[in-house]
Amino acid sequence: MLFNILGVTCGYGASPVLKDVNVQINSQDFVGIVGPNGSGKSTLLRTISRVLKPTHGKVLLDEKDIYQMSGAEVAQKMAVVSQEQGLDFPFTVKDVVMMGRIPHLKRFAREGSRDFAAVARAMDLTDTAVLADRQVTELSGGEKQRVLLARALAQEPQILLLDEPTSYLDINYQIEIMELLVRMRRDYGLTIIAVLHDLNLASRFSDYLLVMKKGCVHAVGTPHQVITIPMIKDVYGCEVRVECSSSERPYMVFNAETKPAAGGSARRVHVVGGGGSGVQIFRNLLNAGWQISSGVVNVGDSDWQEACRLGIRVIEAPPFCPVGADEAALNKEMMQKAEFIILAGIPFGTGNLRNLETVLEEAERGARVIVVDNIDINERDYTGGQAALLYQKLLQSGVQTVNSEWEAMQLMEGSAGNAI
Amino acid sequence: MTNSYSMKRSIIFTLLIMVLLISVVLGIGIGAISIPPSEIVRILLSHVPGLQYYFAKGWAPEHATIVLTMRFPRVLLAALVGTGLALAGTVFQGLFRNPMADPYVIGVSSGAALGAVGSILLQSVVDIPLRYGIPAFAFVFAIITILLVYNLARVGGKAPVMNLILAGVAVNSVISALVSLCMFFSGNQLHQVLFWLMGGFSGRGMDYVYIFIPYGVVGTAIIFVYARELNAMLLGEEAAEHLGVEVERVKRRLLIAAALLTGACVAVSGMIGFVGLVIPHIVRMIFGPDHRTLLPAVALVGASFLLLADILARVIIAPGELPVGIVTALVGGPFFIYLLRRQKSTMF
Repeated sequence: MLFNILGVTCGYGASPVLKDVNVQINSQDFVGIVGPNGSGKSTLLRTISRVLKPTHGKVLLDEKDIYQMSGAEVAQKMAVVSQEQGLDFPFTVKDVVMMGRIPHLKRFAREGSRDFAAVARAMDLTDTAVLADRQVTELSGGEKQRVLLARALAQEPQILLLDEPTSYLDINYQIEIMELLVRMRRDYGLTIIAVLHDLNLASRFSDYLLVMKKGCVHAVGTPHQVITIPMIKDVYGCEVRVECSSSERPYMVFNAETKPAAGGSARRVHVVGGGGSGVQIFRNLLNAGWQISSGVVNVGDSDWQEACRLGIRVIEAPPFCPVGADEAALNKEMMQKAEFIILAGIPFGTGNLRNLETVLEEAERGARVIVVDNIDINERDYTGGQAALLYQKLLQSGVQTVNSEWEAMQLMEGSAGNAI
Repeated sequence: MTNSYSMKRSIIFTLLIMVLLISVVLGIGIGAISIPPSEIVRILLSHVPGLQYYFAKGWAPEHATIVLTMRFPRVLLAALVGTGLALAGTVFQGLFRNPMADPYVIGVSSGAALGAVGSILLQSVVDIPLRYGIPAFAFVFAIITILLVYNLARVGGKAPVMNLILAGVAVNSVISALVSLCMFFSGNQLHQVLFWLMGGFSGRGMDYVYIFIPYGVVGTAIIFVYARELNAMLLGEEAAEHLGVEVERVKRRLLIAAALLTGACVAVSGMIGFVGLVIPHIVRMIFGPDHRTLLPAVALVGASFLLLADILARVIIAPGELPVGIVTALVGGPFFIYLLRRQKSTMF
């Protein structure tokens, strides 16, 4: 065991920011600290980095209270990359990285070959060697961040604490820095404790996540245990989707859409799509308050996945199977319940030809069908002319033709007053 | 690259030392009776222990008297005060990461002035001629002021830089008002008080040098010891702490050291502005922010600057003499503005 945080209570003034926090962190763990703003993540990091002394409790590093150790003693074992960059003075990059050697240097001692080697290695790892003679004040935010990481690595620590190390970085450097940390852990046995704002980044790279909420540890566990819909609802108070294929770390996606008000009064629309054609229109329709059904699509199709995610009623056929009679009947039933039927600009093959037939039957019966005619039918007919024939028939049966899904929606919205 | 840099640095340092030596010789040579440089050098070297036999006494004895009892102590004191003020300014600016910080802003100079003015008044009231009273009072008040400011700024065991500056500004304004109050009630002492407040080296002998030296040496030594920590603290106090620097302890010691230097300077020479503000800036523009080279350079430049300013103060209205504080402000101010206009891009 490396870090043992025992009943730490801590704060700036009267009300504590951390309340009785107990955490154990083992050597060579990669621990991500997550939680909403103001939950005490950074305060926890400051407490374990010997900056903010707790009012109660202890922080033990290898069984020793870090607040009883000297600053240099702690800094030889632990380096910190904090959120504030503080590189406001025209030091060269080299000079700043060399400052990482301060805890190892005796007073008045000149930097020796060991120090230069540590600095060179740190700059090499962080890709900052090319910046060596530049002034830090001239660097971009991302470059500064890498210089600070280099300084921390030059300390040759066993533990690396990071406070949102990726917040100034472009996406490529975010991944690169995180992968560098993973590599450092593997190659040098570093223990890494990082406050991370981005849950997905935290989930992807951490062994353990520490979820903070209102100054307390809300949950500790592997990403699979911790990143769950109820946890996020509980801690962040928002609805998300969490996706996780078995081989991957869980990741979450924000549900930007507001869920339509439940109730039977919503107007119904049936979308005949497939192959991703419905993906765009489903959300727009949901946002506009429509109640949607869709079909027939194969299980696993991207429209099917999206419909399942959004909770849309979908008539499904087994994977790679043509639409069967039962499904077609169900589909027809759904169409008849809908106010509108939208036929997306999908390709037709023998598998889904039956969908087209069903739409045609409904159109001839007088249902309100909107055909999105954005691609010439001959280019998406894989049935040797059968589909094109049906399609021409459909167009002549009094359906409305539009150029895009968006237009289809406008048409439906426009008819709100005089429909039914 | 490293070699050419360190070579450039040693060339600049050699130049700075030469400028200082030339300033010393000029400062001794110029005056109502001018003394040629070669004579000055010989007179001075003949008093270095061990060298006295190598220099024949080929000079007028009154010249030796002028050099040794009048001009040399004055020049030496000017150089020491220049060094002291510039070093104190460097420390305040570095500690506070603030270009406007200097012994004045933080209230230390005013504190010293209050002590000095108070002691002048006290002498007139109790009618005791306190020959060394002024320095002692100035010095004690400088230390009291810095302790007051530090404790006012303290929250939960730490004194954040912003608090220190605010407390300094507040304390400074109160003390300045007290100084004005003293002047208001000073009656026939007003001239002496005013003359003292304007700062200068007129008539200062070796006794003042002896007063200055113990505080000057201690203060300077502490500052040089913590050069590396000062660098780390330029990255921010928390960053410094992460690098193992005991920030509060270092800050306290450096504040005391800077107050020692400021108190000693004000005690022996009154209020001399601009040296503590301008010299660190100028030197930082040349040498960069690394205190390990910055501090010695600042010490050399500060000494030369105040020496040259003192020479100007003596010659401008010769045979009269201006207070040197006026000269430093008149010369240093515009030069400083010129530099700032040229280097708008850098923070300092």
